[in-house]
Amino acid sequence: MRRYLAARLLQAIGVVAFVTTFAFVVVHLAPGDPIASALARPNITEAVREQWRVAYGLDRPVSEQYVRWVVNAARGNLGYSFSHRRPVRDVFADAMPNTLLLSGLGLVLSFAIGIMVGLLQAERPGGRRDRWLGRILLVLYSVPDFWLALVVLILFAYRLPLFPPGGMTDSVMYEYLSPGAKFLDRIKHLVLPVLTLAVLTAAGIARFQRGALLAVLPSDWMRTALAKGLSWQAAVRHHAFRNALLPTITLFGLSIPAFATGAIFVEKVFSWPGMGLIVVNGIAARDYPLVTAGVMVMSVLVAGCALVADIAVAAADPRIRLG
Amino acid sequence: MHRSFRVSSRPLRLAAPLLLALLAVAGCKGLEDSKSAGPADIGGTLVITTAADAGTLLPPLIASITDRQATDLLYDRLADIGDDLNSVGDKGFKPQLAERWDWAPDSLSIAFHINPHARWHDGFPVRASDVRYSVSLIKDPALGSTAAPLVTNVDSVSVRDSLTAVAWFKRHTPEQFYDLVYQIVILPEHVLGNTPAAKLKDAEVGRRGIGSGRFRLAKWEPGAKIELVADTANYRGRPKLDRVIFAIAPDFNGAATRFFAGDADLFENIRPEQVARFVNDTAHRLQRYPTLAYAILGMNLRDPKSPGQAHPIFGDRAVRRALTMATDRRAMLKNAFDTIGQALYGPFPHAVSVADTTLPQIPYDTTKAKALLDSAGWLVGADGVRAKNGRRLEFALSVPNSSASRKQYAVLLQDAFRRVGAAATVDQTDFATYSAKLAAHTFDAQIGNYVTDPGVSGFKQSWSTAGIGKDGGNPGSYSNPFVDAMLDSATTTFDPARTKAYARRAFETIIEDAPGIWLYETPAVMGLHKRIHTTTMRADGYWSGLADWWIPVSQRNARDRIGLRPTP
Repeated sequence: MRRYLAARLLQAIGVVAFVTTFAFVVVHLAPGDPIASALARPNITEAVREQWRVAYGLDRPVSEQYVRWVVNAARGNLGYSFSHRRPVRDVFADAMPNTLLLSGLGLVLSFAIGIMVGLLQAERPGGRRDRWLGRILLVLYSVPDFWLALVVLILFAYRLPLFPPGGMTDSVMYEYLSPGAKFLDRIKHLVLPVLTLAVLTAAGIARFQRGALLAVLPSDWMRTALAKGLSWQAAVRHHAFRNALLPTITLFGLSIPAFATGAIFVEKVFSWPGMGLIVVNGIAARDYPLVTAGVMVMSVLVAGCALVADIAVAAADPRIRLG
Repeated sequence: MHRSFRVSSRPLRLAAPLLLALLAVAGCKGLEDSKSAGPADIGGTLVITTAADAGTLLPPLIASITDRQATDLLYDRLADIGDDLNSVGDKGFKPQLAERWDWAPDSLSIAFHINPHARWHDGFPVRASDVRYSVSLIKDPALGSTAAPLVTNVDSVSVRDSLTAVAWFKRHTPEQFYDLVYQIVILPEHVLGNTPAAKLKDAEVGRRGIGSGRFRLAKWEPGAKIELVADTANYRGRPKLDRVIFAIAPDFNGAATRFFAGDADLFENIRPEQVARFVNDTAHRLQRYPTLAYAILGMNLRDPKSPGQAHPIFGDRAVRRALTMATDRRAMLKNAFDTIGQALYGPFPHAVSVADTTLPQIPYDTTKAKALLDSAGWLVGADGVRAKNGRRLEFALSVPNSSASRKQYAVLLQDAFRRVGAAATVDQTDFATYSAKLAAHTFDAQIGNYVTDPGVSGFKQSWSTAGIGKDGGNPGSYSNPFVDAMLDSATTTFDPARTKAYARRAFETIIEDAPGIWLYETPAVMGLHKRIHTTTMRADGYWSGLADWWIPVSQRNARDRIGLRPTP
């Protein structure tokens, strides 16, 4: 087990190093540079921009910049964001909790909805409910995320002004609210982005859950359960559902990194200052340190979650022999 | 045959006359409310939606419009430019930190007398040494100030006594006063002085925003909002508003929804398709404001592959003039901006003091355009595209994909050029790539958005031979000795009438040479909540008089009534 762990850890480190290096090279290959983007006003002269390039070492060869970045990253210094004019670490420290809040709730809600809908469909496969839910899911699955986010925003924040139209809290009143009212204000601002995120993802999860349930329905133990006098619904809910949940749980684990790295369009439309938006804007601004560090954080999350999942499976399943 | 463009939105067409009248009223009244605020009208909150967060609150390092807006409200200058944006001498300038100033007999120095009541937001008094520090900091190469190239004529500042700063100039020029007081914001030495200039770019102290302006920084939540509150003890008087909040909304539609849903009071960039929404809107109004921004199709007069040589297409003046003739600018303006469009008459916005909208223009005439190309040897080939000596009249038209109006114009121009036998390929890239092409001069033609300074010297940067290269803002490498001479004269005469006359002759020649096609003044129409009463808006920043905007007591909502009480 120890040797297996060490090998998987080395693999994970290798993946992170490769992905980060790749991102560093690709973002440097793109035309333009962070200084030209950050100081884009026409009355700022090229000489001033050149001065900034020298100050930040951007005039040095890319290989030298890379070595310097790696050495600094190893010391916990992720560099300086040119577009935010702050250390990258500080930028991420502000954005990550926002993303975790939005995506965490979105992830839980999307799996709750997806599993529920999948179960409802599988109870009567081919029935009217299954067919209608299937059509609705297909539509939701096909809808572009930015479009759905905009429709939700316009419908529920403007036409029917039930929820605030963006931001994490009320930009003026929040500071002056009682603790209870502050909590309520947070919840109100979370509803639309979380719901949008959940609906977008739940469609895929429901289809996955339905498929998993249909795969276990012909099992012998289902026939036994029915023969013992259980109703079809009770057999599905108490026996088939539990067995079909295992692959969905694996999917949940694999979804964590994707959610944690942000939902770009939802963050953008709902003015939610999260990781996804920051990294995408960083690419547009050629913010080398921010993009490279962002990719590194994402790859650490993906490799870390995959590692934990592998270890969990290895520990739980005796059929898997290690070493 | 020419096909005219039509406005496609029916509601927009129906509402257009009414909206024109609305805008005309807003625009012609001098952009201010006739009634003025009384003592009871102190208070209220203004929420502005803005697309991007600020990067810094340190004026010498500002780069974005949000940086500029926030720092203009937080910091004061020695004096503020007048509403007419005159940059010659000190006519029209209004005292700020300097309550008065005396010119030396040789005009090579000016003594500024600091207002003894002026205080920084942390309570320290503003002193003459702060002026000396600010000037030396902005000129320090280690800082890399974006404004440094604009203050080269300012030599130094000496301190006569704690409230008298003497500014020394290298040469007596018409804009020496403007160079100093407009380009240099006065900074607190006791806050920044301990940080080396080279470290200020990254220093936390640059985010504190301790200035002497009528608003002070209350809170900056990165990516979410910047909150400024009234400096109630300010030496220039308390602002009428209690609070100004810049709420960051990166998505255009998201920002618009926040405005129309009442979450924000001011939305800067109303697009033509949104204008009709104001017709029956009882809560909001449209407000046109002057601007110094304009867009042109800029042609590269140098060969991108061989910069020492003339561009094979745009090096030919006849081609440039023919393409200008092929462009129906009025129809394009109507198509892209409908009622909020504003025509451009040359390389200047109409708000600058030297603007002249009566200058003769190259007329729209496709027949003449074709004849001109024929006579220049560009003959139509079998595929309808002209060619000369084996070189096709084919070029790339670069636009940044971040600008909806410029992308739209690129398509309209492509169509207009095609009608006279020129094949333009729209080269749409992200802003960083577009900027890189401009900096490296590796483009054929580009649709650029220019923002000029109020002073005449800004035009030298963009259109004189001196503006070619790293220190200038002349990406198309336009060069004409007569224009250079006229712009030199315009920037050295002390008579504003002659300044205007020289500038007129320079602009006239530039228009004749056609190094660009003058497309439009960037539409500056904001959506504003009706309870917000404004004052005069200056073209270099509508927010210049924001401290005197007000909200009548009778029209206030919940967020206006919270006052300045501390947060619980």
